[in-house]
Amino acid sequence: MQPVDVARSLSAQWPCRDIQARQLASLLHPNTPSLSTLVVHGVSATCKSTILLGVLSTLEVPHAFVRSSECITARHLLTKILWSTLEALGQKDEWEKYGKGRCEHVSTLAVLLEECLAARAEEQRGKFVLVLDEIDRQREAPPTLLSALARLGEIIPSLCVVLVLSSTPRPLFLQNAAVPHVSFPPYTRKEAIEILLASPMPLVENLPDETSSRVYPHFVATIYDTLVGPTAGSIPTFRSICHRLWPLFVAPVVQGEAPPGGNTEWDFTRLLVKNRALFRHQGESALVHRIVPEDTSAPSKTLRKPLAISTAPSALPHLPYFSTLILTSAYLASHTPQRLDTIFFSKFSSSSLSARNKRAHHRRRLKVLSQAQAEDRAAANDDPSTPRKGKRTKTRITKSTLSNAFATSSATTSAVGGGAGITGPSTILSARPFPLERLLAIFHAVDPNPPENPIHTAAVADQIYAELATLRRLRLVVPASGHVGFASTGSGNTSADAGEKWCVNVSGDWIGELAKGIGVEVGEWLAGGLD
Amino acid sequence: MDPEGLEDALDLSRDRSQNHGVYIYQPAKPGKATGERPSKRRKVSSTDHRGQKSDVKCFVPLLNGEENAESSQLRHETYKQLWSAQEHKIQAILEDVDAGVLADVLSFVRENSPETCNGCIPTGLVTVGSNVSSLSRLLSRLNDQLLASGEGGVVVLESGDAPNLKSSLKNIIRAAITNTEGNDGYQKFLTDRAGPRLLGYDLDLLNDYVQRKGTKKLVLALRDSEAFDPGLLMDLLSLFNSWLDRIPFTVLLGISTSVELFEGRLPRACVSLLQGKHFEVQEAGNCVDRIYESLQTDPQGKLWLGRNVTSTLLEKTHDYFQTPEAFSRMVKYAYMSHFFANPLAVLLGNPAPATLSHPRLCEAIRNLPSFRMFCEDLLEAGSPDDVRNLLENDEYLLQEALSHVSAGQQSMQQIFQAVLVIHACIQHTQQGSKKSNVSDLSVRALSGELNDSQVADDMLATVRTFDSEKLGLLLESLPKTLPADLALEDIRTDFATLVDANAEFEPLRSEYNINSSVVKTTVVQQRILLSKGKANLSEQDIEYTRIVDRLVGALQEYLTETLIQPQELFMHEAFLFDLRNPLKENFTPRPRFALERALANPFDYLISSTDASGARISAKQPATAILYQLYLESGALVNIHDLWQAFYGVFEGDQGNTCDDRMIMSLFYSALSDLKSFGMVKNSRKKTDHLAKSAWMGL
Repeated sequence: MQPVDVARSLSAQWPCRDIQARQLASLLHPNTPSLSTLVVHGVSATCKSTILLGVLSTLEVPHAFVRSSECITARHLLTKILWSTLEALGQKDEWEKYGKGRCEHVSTLAVLLEECLAARAEEQRGKFVLVLDEIDRQREAPPTLLSALARLGEIIPSLCVVLVLSSTPRPLFLQNAAVPHVSFPPYTRKEAIEILLASPMPLVENLPDETSSRVYPHFVATIYDTLVGPTAGSIPTFRSICHRLWPLFVAPVVQGEAPPGGNTEWDFTRLLVKNRALFRHQGESALVHRIVPEDTSAPSKTLRKPLAISTAPSALPHLPYFSTLILTSAYLASHTPQRLDTIFFSKFSSSSLSARNKRAHHRRRLKVLSQAQAEDRAAANDDPSTPRKGKRTKTRITKSTLSNAFATSSATTSAVGGGAGITGPSTILSARPFPLERLLAIFHAVDPNPPENPIHTAAVADQIYAELATLRRLRLVVPASGHVGFASTGSGNTSADAGEKWCVNVSGDWIGELAKGIGVEVGEWLAGGLD
Repeated sequence: MDPEGLEDALDLSRDRSQNHGVYIYQPAKPGKATGERPSKRRKVSSTDHRGQKSDVKCFVPLLNGEENAESSQLRHETYKQLWSAQEHKIQAILEDVDAGVLADVLSFVRENSPETCNGCIPTGLVTVGSNVSSLSRLLSRLNDQLLASGEGGVVVLESGDAPNLKSSLKNIIRAAITNTEGNDGYQKFLTDRAGPRLLGYDLDLLNDYVQRKGTKKLVLALRDSEAFDPGLLMDLLSLFNSWLDRIPFTVLLGISTSVELFEGRLPRACVSLLQGKHFEVQEAGNCVDRIYESLQTDPQGKLWLGRNVTSTLLEKTHDYFQTPEAFSRMVKYAYMSHFFANPLAVLLGNPAPATLSHPRLCEAIRNLPSFRMFCEDLLEAGSPDDVRNLLENDEYLLQEALSHVSAGQQSMQQIFQAVLVIHACIQHTQQGSKKSNVSDLSVRALSGELNDSQVADDMLATVRTFDSEKLGLLLESLPKTLPADLALEDIRTDFATLVDANAEFEPLRSEYNINSSVVKTTVVQQRILLSKGKANLSEQDIEYTRIVDRLVGALQEYLTETLIQPQELFMHEAFLFDLRNPLKENFTPRPRFALERALANPFDYLISSTDASGARISAKQPATAILYQLYLESGALVNIHDLWQAFYGVFEGDQGNTCDDRMIMSLFYSALSDLKSFGMVKNSRKKTDHLAKSAWMGL
């Protein structure tokens, strides 16, 4: 079979990959002399392995296929290569001959592979292809593994090693010149739409075939332009979005609504105008995969649903009272600079006027600081900072601005109506690690139900430790060393050092809500929070 | 004397025992004495035997050791009998609580496959809140069901079992195979294969197993998903996803915070591998309330937990992470300490008179605060002969005590009946989500405050305003077990006839209803007077008002009669356990407090050779304690030389010029290293010759 024929037979099922199929077919053709190494690369979901396997099975070349992502260690990979080779050659029952099925090093693999390829029957002695899928994602791979595997083909003449990579290879990454590369580029707009139109259309009951065949191509193109193209989505996401949105898109037709403008029939433009909101809300949520999918069974409700979700508070977990209080203190400890502790938490200075002034001063300073940070960030993102500034210059005194000014007494420094860059107390300062003793001290300061006689009540430190351990298991509060790199601390490690620092690991809005439930106002304590 | 007074007495006695000094606990070394061959099998059988033996006399005789053996035996038996009954009830409740979620999860596992989830791993997210233990109960029952139907099994993985990818895979495979084959089966499975021996973490093993057993559903449950390392979770899930075409995985994730938070922490790539459903397990609080209700309101109850114990128990559940199991353990401890330490508990076990006839026991009864109250009441009632009899005739006393125990038990049962009645009524009268539950009501009832409380008053006032529809519902929901002299049946029949006769009218209203009163406006001397008056009531409404009045009156009477103060009952010490202290002390250990106290006041624990009342710091104390007290006096940064000078000064002041410089220096060093190992000081980075304080006392 000629490479052209191979490509043609494959393109019926896997369209738009003609060139690659032809390249692969000519390189791997049983009649051409064996290639030692071949690199196939392209981002995920570009049909690399499928086309490769298709070519190999169409050409009837004996081959072994190993998914490297399923191998836990390099040794596992080597063993697996050996077995799948034996299996492909039909020598599975003779495994004891080849190192007893064990293979711990690439050099052993070379010897064993050579042996078992040499043991083939005379008429089968042709090309043998070994495909290593996603080999660049191999876990625990030694740095020389790739180049060593690439050499296998040179040592064993009849073997061809195909390395499938999902990242773009660096030049000469195999330490070997002139290795042929076949690239699988991402699908272009035209190709993607073509592929999707070739696959069967999602079925919608009560929809006339004629309407759907007329509207669907436009719909697919619109989806690509609005959602898939800009986000570099793959074909599977493209397909799933189309399948999810199509029934909603044609819902007006199915429900028998009369088209606007006195027309008797719905066409694409009218449907699009009708469904503007659909693209805004559903489209964006369609891009984000959620573990629990939102219910799309009732199309009439869905248009209102996204709004309801954004307004409803996210479900708060139910933590016991004491743990909530500890979490709140941990948050405060993380977000207050340590040198301001005496000003913010000391009970001796809490009522005096000067202390209040000092506190207000520091809060304002921190707030300005954080705003400056937020604005820098906004400017860096080239975000809506410019329109907001324009608005601020010509602020008129209206009722709403007045009430805002009352709500935030330092209206001169803060943006009217709360600038877009500041969403809540969470953005004020990033969480900083704190020692355990500081948490205990702050806990005593913020406790809304302090014991009546603090001298005679027992210390609560020991109870705090117990609850803190639970919070740590939930990863709401984490040891600061583990905060930087999760992989460095195993989850089993629970030893706490004397000077060990901790850090809170959740957002402030969330803790604010929780703390309100037990009667603590976070903003009251927080530097820069409430003013 | 009230319970607090009793506790004080206990505290005092404890304090006295502290003067004995400290005891060092040295556990007997288990297992092999030298030269003896250890044998695992023999050990198991022998410990069983010993366990039975020690069971016989595990309760020591009380009353200064003069209690007879039968009594202590009887106490033990009564305890076992009582607790086993309660434990059954608790188990039944726990199972019942999970039943709904279990059915949901089971049907989810059965119905979902990768095909129905768009090629993702079918995932059940189970939010358990603070009710952490419920998931393991649920999973073991799910496992039983799946095993019984031969569909597969459940593999539970905890964060502790998963330090890295290799060992977590190994654990998963081993658990999946041992689940059905047992441990030997797993070893056999590893060795008896056609091909070469596979690595322990190779999912090919699991694949083989699944093929061989025909498993349709392999549920992998991560009990505490938040505690898993996110990177590891990602690796595991992507592996499962790639094997999904060969091994039918279903993943169950236990989440203690919220789904959003959990999802937000996972990498996007990981989230896109999962799809499924969200399940919610009931809160621990509800579960505990139900357990408490069933324990206390049992119509055959013998022993009750008093107000102090109840409030300690409930506080523990509401304020801390606590499982229902832990709650029931605490209750068990309370029961146990009652029967273990209270000689009067023997009266609960229907004792034979012979076992009881013990002068010491009678003496104990005569010393009870409730006995004194009882006698005073008798004297006031004018029967001094009875009192004399009680004081002098042991037999008469025991007879009275026994009869009062059972009478007291009855009135306790009635108290909780009344609590249930109020609870049933409140379901109708209180609007909104914040309803008082049985535990809150019980706490009030146990302190004798429920009858005059706001809750009861509000309830009765609301009942008055009910129209006939609501009243009908209320009457139906009242328990049938109320005493007959309430005449509730009569009220019911009268009500039914009245409603039947007036079926065509609107619902009947009593005169207390807002709709039945009108506001009159009169102008008197240019002032407007508003006066409320009753609207003209129809015949039926007047009749209906009469019924409502009868009902409210009957309820009021019933409540005043039954809701008495339990502490006023004679012999309440025998059937009401209300000591806060053993429970609170034992379930909240305070190591840090003890450590600080030992260092700051070492003679609280150690025997002092001289009178310790003088100077606070003396050379007689251990060196570490001296240094710690000096350390307490310093600021956040301490100069080591100053510390040494002060330390030396303590010894110098005590021993004069004879003290040995080098000796004290070595003491100082060892004390300092002790403090360092406690984590109380560390070297300061700011000043090289200073120490930084890292722990403060009394936090």
